[in-house]
Amino acid sequence: MSEASQTPSMLPPPAPPILHRRLWVVVGKGGVGKTTVSVLLAMWAAEHGKRVLVAEVDGAGRAASLLGVQPERLGVAKRVRPNLAVMSVEGAAALAEYLALILPVRRVLDVVFSSRIYQYFVAAAPGLKELMTIGKIWYEAERTDPETGDRVWDLVVMDAPATGHSLQYLGMPKAAREVFQTGLVGRESQRLVDLLSNPARTAVHIVTTAEEMPVNESVEMYHKISTDLALPLGYLVVNRLHQRRFDTGELQRLKANARRLPQADRVVAEAIVDRAFEEEGWSSINREYLQRLLERVQMPHVELPFVFAEEFGATHLERLRQVLSRQLAAREQNTTHHGFRLG
Amino acid sequence: MASALDDILAKHAIIVCAGSGGVGKTTTAAALALRAARSGRRTLVMTIDPAKRLADALGLESLADEPVDVPLPGGGTLAALMLDQKGAWDRLVERHAPNAEIRDKILRNRFYQHLSQSFAGSQEYMAIEQLRALHESGRYDLIVVDTPPTRHALDFLEAPQRLADFLDRSVIRWFVKPYFSASWATVRMFNRTVGFLFRRLEEATGVSALVEVSEFFTAMAGLFENFEPRVRQVYQLLRDPRTGFVLVVAPEEQVLQEAEFFISQIERLGVSLRAVIVNRMHREVLVRGRPPRRQALMTVLRKLRAAPELAEGLAANFDDYQALGRGDMLRVEAFQRLVPRQAALVMVPNLPGDIHSLDGLAALHEYLFSAAA
Repeated sequence: MSEASQTPSMLPPPAPPILHRRLWVVVGKGGVGKTTVSVLLAMWAAEHGKRVLVAEVDGAGRAASLLGVQPERLGVAKRVRPNLAVMSVEGAAALAEYLALILPVRRVLDVVFSSRIYQYFVAAAPGLKELMTIGKIWYEAERTDPETGDRVWDLVVMDAPATGHSLQYLGMPKAAREVFQTGLVGRESQRLVDLLSNPARTAVHIVTTAEEMPVNESVEMYHKISTDLALPLGYLVVNRLHQRRFDTGELQRLKANARRLPQADRVVAEAIVDRAFEEEGWSSINREYLQRLLERVQMPHVELPFVFAEEFGATHLERLRQVLSRQLAAREQNTTHHGFRLG
Repeated sequence: MASALDDILAKHAIIVCAGSGGVGKTTTAAALALRAARSGRRTLVMTIDPAKRLADALGLESLADEPVDVPLPGGGTLAALMLDQKGAWDRLVERHAPNAEIRDKILRNRFYQHLSQSFAGSQEYMAIEQLRALHESGRYDLIVVDTPPTRHALDFLEAPQRLADFLDRSVIRWFVKPYFSASWATVRMFNRTVGFLFRRLEEATGVSALVEVSEFFTAMAGLFENFEPRVRQVYQLLRDPRTGFVLVVAPEEQVLQEAEFFISQIERLGVSLRAVIVNRMHREVLVRGRPPRRQALMTVLRKLRAAPELAEGLAANFDDYQALGRGDMLRVEAFQRLVPRQAALVMVPNLPGDIHSLDGLAALHEYLFSAAA
């Protein structure tokens, strides 16, 4: 079907360029490389002149250490490069910060923080923690310099916790709005829901590896995010792809030959062939699940290679950055952006 | 000769597989249970969210509260039970509600409905309570438990206590008090600070919501009268000498850091760590104590009669995996020093693909139960 024959009214309005949005939420199953991808996406945006903050939620300061700096204390941004900063965000700390805004008397605050009711609130009502975390992140996205009145960040990249949790974070404003229909929390929640669901301002990126469990979970997440939560989607990032191909018939032949070698050579020869089998095994699994994923998830996607490294470090991050930048540049060029802004 | 893990399977009534999410806990738990069943013990594996095809292999088509028998071609009694994570709180309320009216009141409460999914600790507590019931039934010689996929391995152990703290009646009563005692004035007089906080909360949230929150706590207040003793019993079971913990890890920096922390807390928690299983290990190949150089690889590949282009590819691939092996070995060696001496350390190589059959699980046994381990 040619582009001209499509009826414009039948299609959803084209999404504004991803780099114009102000909040990127990065979600995915535990262990798929969410923090690394969050940092890479942030680096890409920074390359395009955006002032970017990576907000790592409930993390261990890994975003900072990937970029080679010591993390700051919770809720405080640490500048890594001229255009790039990192911050660790945690719900209880965000709630304390929020209370400091509405209860500006220090003595009162101290009593509140040490009271059991407050402790209860933080420990046992995680919904509140999640709401506060999202609130804190949005506050950072909107924050302006008191002197110039300019925004401090053009873009905040939220590195969300593992799957189940990230959806709780993203769903909490909606849930809170339904419970608290009136009052400040109700109004704040409504504001967060509006901002999160506005495709001109927010994009949710999904990170996965091409294996059974992560793919199943990503498909489930995709449906929840796009349908139940109705949030605007960004990129699907498929991480850690094994890409080398070996002909298994050929490998079998070599393995048979290896058996005829003297003992010393044989050990090495078999190890060489076994590693090739291993790589081919992973490559074919990755291919199978990548295909399955792309059949079920309608998002533009980018692919990152598996990194073979003794220890993942700065050079590997740089290599992945180049791979990602190239793909995103091509993707963004192919996307028809009509240049209008919603809202 | 029996391996260390065989010995552990033989001597315990409960084995808890702990570890941070995404390290292969579910598969490991299933493989351990299969081994015990084949050795003649009546075994149950309590599992959480296995990969679809592993669930099929274990005969788990859907969530069930009751164990289902897994037919074993080689003989032996193996049952599997998949824990329902989502309905944990509902079941907790159903079990503890004194009557249907209170039960419905809680289940219908909007505040409850929104928050019950994320209440800390409910899944973990329900898993342990179910474990206790099945253990006491005497139907099984051994129960292998897979723990929920938390970020931190300790969550599973600390959840019951957190839940008990949450249900502490004095805290709940505090929260209920303003509405319970008819007016805010009492509270304001009683404690100006708390009164102030409540006034602010009232302004912030809108009173209607607070009424609902309060109603919820009023209904909850009487619900868990005997909760504290139950939690104590749960901990007793976890600390029983016949309950052993198996920590499952992968050779990744973050995972090992988390595991280190878990090990450092073992004594405080009073549970026994019996084994550490390192999944997904890559190993570096050494010849006379050294990694073979590229030149040596090419010589061997010539002897294998590999075409030159293929030989280049094979050697490059081998070197890449050597680097992974070196990294994994270095990280695990450093970690190993922290593992208590009485706990066995078992390494399982990084096998391509997910395991989704009983035969696949049995293939893991070669690594888990080699006598040398």
